[in-house]
Amino acid sequence: MVATAPLLAARGVSKSFFGNPVLRDVSIALQPGRVHALLGENGAGKSTLINLLSGALRPDGGAIEVGGRPVSRMTPAYAQQAGIAVVQQELSLTASLSIAENIGLGAYPRRFGLLDYPELAVRARAACDLVGLHEPLSIPVGHLSLGRRQMVEIAKALYRRPRVLILDEPTSSLSATETKVLTKLLERLRGEGIAILYISHRLNEVMALCQHVTVLKDGTCTADRTLEGTDASGLVRLMVGRDPGDLFPHWQPSASAASAISVRNFSAGLMRDVDLDIRTGEVLGIGGLVGQGQEDLLLGLYGAIPARTASATVNGASGLPAGVPKANALGLAYVPADRKREGLHLIHSIITNLMLPAFARLPALKLRSRRAERETARGLAVQLAIKGDLGRPAQALSGGNQQKVALAKWMPHDPLVLLLNDPTRGVDVETKREIYMMLRNFAAAGKAVVLLSSDTPELVHLCDRVAVVREGHVVAMLECGALSEEAIVSVAMGAEQRRVAS
Amino acid sequence: MSTVGSSRQTGALYWPVQLRRNVGVRGLFAVVMAFVVAYGVLFPGLLTGSGFAKFTQSWFPLALVAMAQAILMLTGGISLAIGAMVSLGAVIAATIMTGPLGVAGGAAAVALTGLGIGAATGLIVVKLRLPAIVVTLAGSFIIGGAALLILPRPGGAIPEWLSDLLAGNTPAAFVLLVLIVLLWKLYLATPLGLSLYAAGENPVGAYRSGVPVDGARIAAYAISGLLCTGAGLFVAAQTGSGDPVIGTAFTLNSIAAAVLGGIGFLGGQGTMRGALAGSLLLSLMISVMFFLGFTPVAQYVAQGLIIIGAVAIPQFRKVQQ
Repeated sequence: MVATAPLLAARGVSKSFFGNPVLRDVSIALQPGRVHALLGENGAGKSTLINLLSGALRPDGGAIEVGGRPVSRMTPAYAQQAGIAVVQQELSLTASLSIAENIGLGAYPRRFGLLDYPELAVRARAACDLVGLHEPLSIPVGHLSLGRRQMVEIAKALYRRPRVLILDEPTSSLSATETKVLTKLLERLRGEGIAILYISHRLNEVMALCQHVTVLKDGTCTADRTLEGTDASGLVRLMVGRDPGDLFPHWQPSASAASAISVRNFSAGLMRDVDLDIRTGEVLGIGGLVGQGQEDLLLGLYGAIPARTASATVNGASGLPAGVPKANALGLAYVPADRKREGLHLIHSIITNLMLPAFARLPALKLRSRRAERETARGLAVQLAIKGDLGRPAQALSGGNQQKVALAKWMPHDPLVLLLNDPTRGVDVETKREIYMMLRNFAAAGKAVVLLSSDTPELVHLCDRVAVVREGHVVAMLECGALSEEAIVSVAMGAEQRRVAS
Repeated sequence: MSTVGSSRQTGALYWPVQLRRNVGVRGLFAVVMAFVVAYGVLFPGLLTGSGFAKFTQSWFPLALVAMAQAILMLTGGISLAIGAMVSLGAVIAATIMTGPLGVAGGAAAVALTGLGIGAATGLIVVKLRLPAIVVTLAGSFIIGGAALLILPRPGGAIPEWLSDLLAGNTPAAFVLLVLIVLLWKLYLATPLGLSLYAAGENPVGAYRSGVPVDGARIAAYAISGLLCTGAGLFVAAQTGSGDPVIGTAFTLNSIAAAVLGGIGFLGGQGTMRGALAGSLLLSLMISVMFFLGFTPVAQYVAQGLIIIGAVAIPQFRKVQQ
């Protein structure tokens, strides 16, 4: 082991929220020149640990050490002085400020008490060059795509010339190219002796990039070891204590020839001239780089954004649904990616969330039957393995369970077509497995499932066919036999000019 | 990063940033210019010295309270105590300036009252995490009551030379406004000033970035208070005396001006130049309608319709895209 003191360490820290222990006696040590992976399912306490390390929260017990010395009152300002920079999963950017003003925020260079714009420009440019951001520095961040904002966030961390860099799922909204830039950059920073803490749900990234791993499970540390001699399945075992072989269910093709949705020359949002047939009983994947228009395809079919089409048939009715209630009536259901803002009403109880689509169908002035609601909700909770008291607000649930609620609320209507927007983003492995199982069961029961996903393995292992979207067009429809991660990625990036007819 | 000297040329950042901030308010500027031209045609007196003086004087207090409201709205707050603060500033000026403390003492008292009450409001809102709309509503009763205690009925006096200087045949109001705008630009070029936007739009992110979020917000309340009582002093100079309820209309007009100027209610959206343009537009609308002989009721209705239209037009455009 290295003899030097770790740049940043937590020693036996504990933290509870409202009496619920989130971290119990967890220790972690970040050494210079090492990329340290922090793994764990959602709700395992990763974010809390980061917040303790960066001073955003204070531990109930244990100590945070900087350079081997315990710090009694860790604050974000102190962490910044100590050279600790955090790239949060939730962006810390201000849309109306320019790229440069965002990068320097909280650590502006000053001259005569004023913000030194020339100096800021020089230093922000240097940070942007590192991450491959070539947009003019004066552009307001609000004009950038989500992936580019993530890069600004990383540039903001680098601007502070950190000695310790903490990255919380930095690649979740990045394209493959941007991910590659980031990977190279982290290798370089490691070479310069910076300590890096890297949190990701993408195990292949972790395997390629990191040297050491700490695994959290239910708030306790289950492993603190070097990554050498460990493979991806070994890592998953460490996280869930279970073999990952059955992450994806075994399934039989259940697609029928009948099409649930059929559109010609469909245009909505970024999408242009799409011809698409969605068959009943299949899981149709939609892949591609982030932000190529995939979401607009789903929203357009769902009637949530204006769409044009030459001809369309949706569950036997001709024409696209003109609005969401119409879409629901036609048997369509949509589960959004941003479950916190679009999928759920966080401060309301789980029951209310589960019942919401039902309210839309009840006669407006009929009295509600609380008992019937409770029973339906309980049935759904059992069906989808949603744990805990249903009277609690939805925000009390972990990400995975929130996703299950967002999915479950449509079940009483027995939708014929499920439009799912990245249903497993930020969801832990165990819940992922459950969701995969459900999706295949839906297909087997004759429903059509459209799965938009940023996770290529799930497209490969779960889908009957995958439509790959690039620059607003479906550039390829890959059939089950032709599916592989390489095939999807190369079409998505335009490496392959082959066009497969759907 | 070793090439700091040579890359100073890439340092042209301040002005591009400023130009980009214009993008959202260009349409508003065009409308305001059109109104100014219309006003100039209807009342050619605008181009004379005294006409210009009168015009800026009628705009000046509204411009100040629009700024006062906009600062708070940028932090995600709002104030319903603007009018009461204006009244308080007016009665303090009218009671102290002719007393033993003189004009300087009176002005200092007005400024300190504004800063102090503003900072106290800010402390309550920020530190106790109470909704600004409730705190300032309660504050408007307290502050309005204080103004009535100091001067139960219109009275007091402002030295005549001061009234002549501020509200007479001089462009003093315009010069003051330019000065205040420059001071604002200077404040926005300080780290604390610019942090207003981050503190308003994304307080959690700003806090994690090391921004003194609480400090930036409390400072905003203090500055807002100062602008309000300053506007009160000016109104007292205009009328030559203090009136404990003279500011009442400013509360809602300040919100109207800020909204016309594109300041959003959610914090961090909009620009001060927009708020100023909004206040000018409101002021022009009021004068034009007055001169065209609208009845007061018709004025209010027209004013309301124009404000809704002004907010709706950009929204329509967004939907069209």
